[in-house]
Amino acid sequence: MNIEIATYLCYLGISIALTVWVAHTLHKNGRIFLVDVFHGNEPLADSVNHLLVVGFYLINLGYVSLALKLGYTIAGAQEGIEALSVKVGTVLLVLGGMHFFNLFLFSRMRRRATMRNAPPPVYPDAFTPVQEV
Amino acid sequence: MQVLTLLYDPTCGLCRRVHGWLAEQPKLLELRMIPIQTDAARRRFPKLNHQLTSEDLTVISDEGAVYFGPKAWLMVLWSLCRYREWSYRLAAPELLPTTRRVVSMVSQHRSQISRAAGLSR
Repeated sequence: MNIEIATYLCYLGISIALTVWVAHTLHKNGRIFLVDVFHGNEPLADSVNHLLVVGFYLINLGYVSLALKLGYTIAGAQEGIEALSVKVGTVLLVLGGMHFFNLFLFSRMRRRATMRNAPPPVYPDAFTPVQEV
Repeated sequence: MQVLTLLYDPTCGLCRRVHGWLAEQPKLLELRMIPIQTDAARRRFPKLNHQLTSEDLTVISDEGAVYFGPKAWLMVLWSLCRYREWSYRLAAPELLPTTRRVVSMVSQHRSQISRAAGLSR
């Protein structure tokens, strides 16, 4: 096994493990948010949670697989580790970006949900009796 | 609060246009629209000063809270799914004076605006 193949395998191993770990964290901790957003409707929250995680996996693994190719030959172990570090670094940044995007989605859903019960933005000018017809 | 009643001026083209737009918007509350100074309006709000309602938009909740002018517009935004956030933004202390000025200006010149936009009958 030459050094390029070893680098590729290390890259795949590390990236997939990281993706699984982040997706798992998201899945575990996002559930509480979603249950709150859907007013305790747990089946719906679980369903949305699962769909989000599937999207997360697809985008990240897609990126990992697209970014695999090195495009140049590696002379030794040092260059192999450097190349690996650059690759894993970009995967980490993409994962981080995706993770924050998911957090943003969760918080926006939650804000929308809490807004439904929010009080009026202004105080009334007066009061008048209402006759129901 | 479940229902908001809007007292609108049916003679103003801009108001009719807004009326049509409102009818299509997804709402968080029920919106009832009654033309101003009609028997229906007087019957529902017997103690209200109906002369004033011709000057600017009036919104009244089912609990009898009366919102007039800029506040009425903010309440209309608040009742809509897509614009509830905007009602809070526009009602924030930094923006409220601007909101008041713009809404009052539009209300005062509504007949000119309607004519300019070709909305008059």
